[in-house]
Amino acid sequence: MIRHKIVTGSELILILIIVLYCIIVAVVNPAFWGFETLFDIIRSSSTAIIVALGLLVVMLSGGIDVSFMSIALFGSYTAAYMMITYKIDSLPFAFVVATLIGIILGMINALLVNWLKLPAFIITLGTQNFFHGVMTTFISDKTYGAGVIPESLSRFGSSTIFKVNTEMGVMGLTTSAIPVFLLICLTWFILYRTSIGRGVVALGNSEESAIRSGFDPLKIRLFAYGYIGALAGIMGVIYIAQVNAVYPNKLVGDELMIIAGAVIGGTKITGGSGKILGVVLGILIIYLLNNTLIFLGLSSSWNKLFIGTLLVISVAVTSFQARVKNRKNLIFTE
Amino acid sequence: MTEMLLRTEHISKAFIGVQALDDVSVDIKKQSIHCLCGENGSGKSTFVKTISGIYEPDQGKIILNGKEYGRLTPPQAINEGIQVIYQDLSLFPHMTVAENIAINRLRQSGKKIINWKEIYRIAQEQIDRIGVSMDLNATILETSMANRQLTAICRALSMDAKLLFMDEPTSALTRQEVQRLLKIVHELKEQGLSVVFISHKLDEVFEVADEITIFRDGKKIGDFKSDELTERKLAYYMTGREVTYPRYKRSLADDSPLLEVRGLEKKGNYKDISFTVRKGDILGIIGLLGSGRTELALSLFGLNPPDAGEILFEGKPVKINSPSAAKQTGIALLPEDRGSQGLFRERCIRENVSAAMLGEISSKAGFLDREKEASLAEEGVQKLRVRTPSTETVVGSLSGGNQQKCVVAKWISTDPKLFIMDSPTVGIDIGSKAEIYELIQSFAAKGMAIILITDEMEELLANANRVLVFSEGRIAAELDEEDLDKENIGQAISALISGADPEKGEQGDQT
Repeated sequence: MIRHKIVTGSELILILIIVLYCIIVAVVNPAFWGFETLFDIIRSSSTAIIVALGLLVVMLSGGIDVSFMSIALFGSYTAAYMMITYKIDSLPFAFVVATLIGIILGMINALLVNWLKLPAFIITLGTQNFFHGVMTTFISDKTYGAGVIPESLSRFGSSTIFKVNTEMGVMGLTTSAIPVFLLICLTWFILYRTSIGRGVVALGNSEESAIRSGFDPLKIRLFAYGYIGALAGIMGVIYIAQVNAVYPNKLVGDELMIIAGAVIGGTKITGGSGKILGVVLGILIIYLLNNTLIFLGLSSSWNKLFIGTLLVISVAVTSFQARVKNRKNLIFTE
Repeated sequence: MTEMLLRTEHISKAFIGVQALDDVSVDIKKQSIHCLCGENGSGKSTFVKTISGIYEPDQGKIILNGKEYGRLTPPQAINEGIQVIYQDLSLFPHMTVAENIAINRLRQSGKKIINWKEIYRIAQEQIDRIGVSMDLNATILETSMANRQLTAICRALSMDAKLLFMDEPTSALTRQEVQRLLKIVHELKEQGLSVVFISHKLDEVFEVADEITIFRDGKKIGDFKSDELTERKLAYYMTGREVTYPRYKRSLADDSPLLEVRGLEKKGNYKDISFTVRKGDILGIIGLLGSGRTELALSLFGLNPPDAGEILFEGKPVKINSPSAAKQTGIALLPEDRGSQGLFRERCIRENVSAAMLGEISSKAGFLDREKEASLAEEGVQKLRVRTPSTETVVGSLSGGNQQKCVVAKWISTDPKLFIMDSPTVGIDIGSKAEIYELIQSFAAKGMAIILITDEMEELLANANRVLVFSEGRIAAELDEEDLDKENIGQAISALISGADPEKGEQGDQT
């Protein structure tokens, strides 16, 4: 009776693209085929997947957030700054501080979106700059290199779950895969098994109807933007650990890549529709291209060309499908 | 005395200067179907919103299940068993039918964790209760209009409704879907519910109503048993004047064909369509949804291109493959859904009326002549008797009838030779209807050819001088003036429409 579609059309297409691409690369350059490539992609995409999950929640609620990288930087930089200044060498401390800051900044976004009734894009574009400015002005704008980074952070960044012997030497699967996996499960649980999660989807479908059904849009927005804030905080700490340095100007500017991944994965920019699997696949494709075009002998400047093409094609396919459906119902609005 | 479910006493409500409800007392009995009739703006919707707790009345009291309220809050209304199905249905398009049905109930239960089995149990229970079958896993976007309506009904029922308000529930449904809905309304009554039914379609009102309350200008005109009234009397009470629809007769001497369609075919839509239209003809086309009528209209307007066949316009073969080609040929289309396909709702009348004429009122360099535009709009407003303070008024703020007149004005200003009108009076009250009929007929009398697609027998018989009956993508019958003068022609046409396969509509919406 209950039939949840786990893999739908657009996700199937993404899987096909990934499989086809992998086959082509493997044929051209057999060196592609190995654990090191796989581990490398997982490691480099892990931070992006985490924030993309939060972005999915916000986009499902009918909103958008372009400030999450700024939040990630704010949270993680502040946490690392406190650890260095006050000599606190504790990984949980970093996560707790960054997550709390993320939640607070996310909720500021939610309040502004809800009160000002302005497009979330404009508001978060504003807060993106605002948050970053507050951080560099009032906290610090210094760069901290590998020497001063607390040991717990750098240890976490280079740690692995298990190791495999390959021709290139010993390769390990990054520990960051664990939070990614846990957060995918958590996001799934929230979206499909909780009342607030269904409220998020309902709000994105129709605010008016959601209100008539008794949902409180403010509460839902506080949750959605708070959630992406929390995930951004977590992501920021993992990022710092992975690069083993703290920069006051990284991350910000990369948010459009994450949005591109979510949209390639089939998330509707107008809200109310989108899937976790789609978003994860969308991000994976981007990082797959990022990391492996080199195997085809293509320079990294081909990256943007491929991702841009992919984005336009995936949006065109979705819109074409909707158009075919409309034509069947004799709607000619385009 | 029969038991009362709801009694309102001397309810009044004013909005900045406008008395929307004026001393209205209405009794709604248990287990009855109560129709509210009145023209747009007569106070029906305000009444419903007062009962459902959205508006606070200025005066009067509401007695519900024996409890007296000065005003109701929405949760109180829901707890007393009042459910409203709004005209826009308030559904969630990307969510499944099951979840749409169960969401209010789950929301009310206040549970934090969702149990999908329960969602499906609630949904299944409600669709079983009204005895229909629907794909619970389909999203609303993949669901037909009729099933969307049923989804909204199921959702209301899931909340233990005792009193169900239905605001214009049939406006987007075809005849057969309406029949099914009315049957369900009767069954709900048998199960002990009271239903308050609001509709512009008087034949539906008479089909379901036990009691009828008539509103005009915010006042209650009276309560009637449905057998005390005739359609004519009801229309009189609603408008305050005698409404008669003029009957159209063609009087032009020129009998040469304007449009000839020969053997037109579109796979899956219609087949073997041949007919001619002369100047001054009002050719009525009637048929069920999916019978090919709207599909054909779209083909003639350059959308939905046909696969085979010929179209001749003024004796010459033409290829119409886009709306702009249709416009150049001299064909106009009044679309079925004026809201999404015929108007720029947020723009003013001037901009709406001139929209199809921008090329003609611009200079060679492409600059718009604002004076010409204004005079075009002024002319349209006068010719069509659009009731508006000025041509700068935003179209969305006008009543349905006046909005429709703006769409007509837009196309009339292009001076079309053939005007295709798809359901021109859907959702429009009787007073405005009569005016629109008069306009259509005056255009035809001056030599314009009109194709009138309609669901309403009365509309067809009042306006058309020739009729095509569509059934399953084919022309089932062609009737001329003589045929239309025969007695009981309405029943004969109804039989032709549905006679072919009366079960079709029931199965057709399992999309």
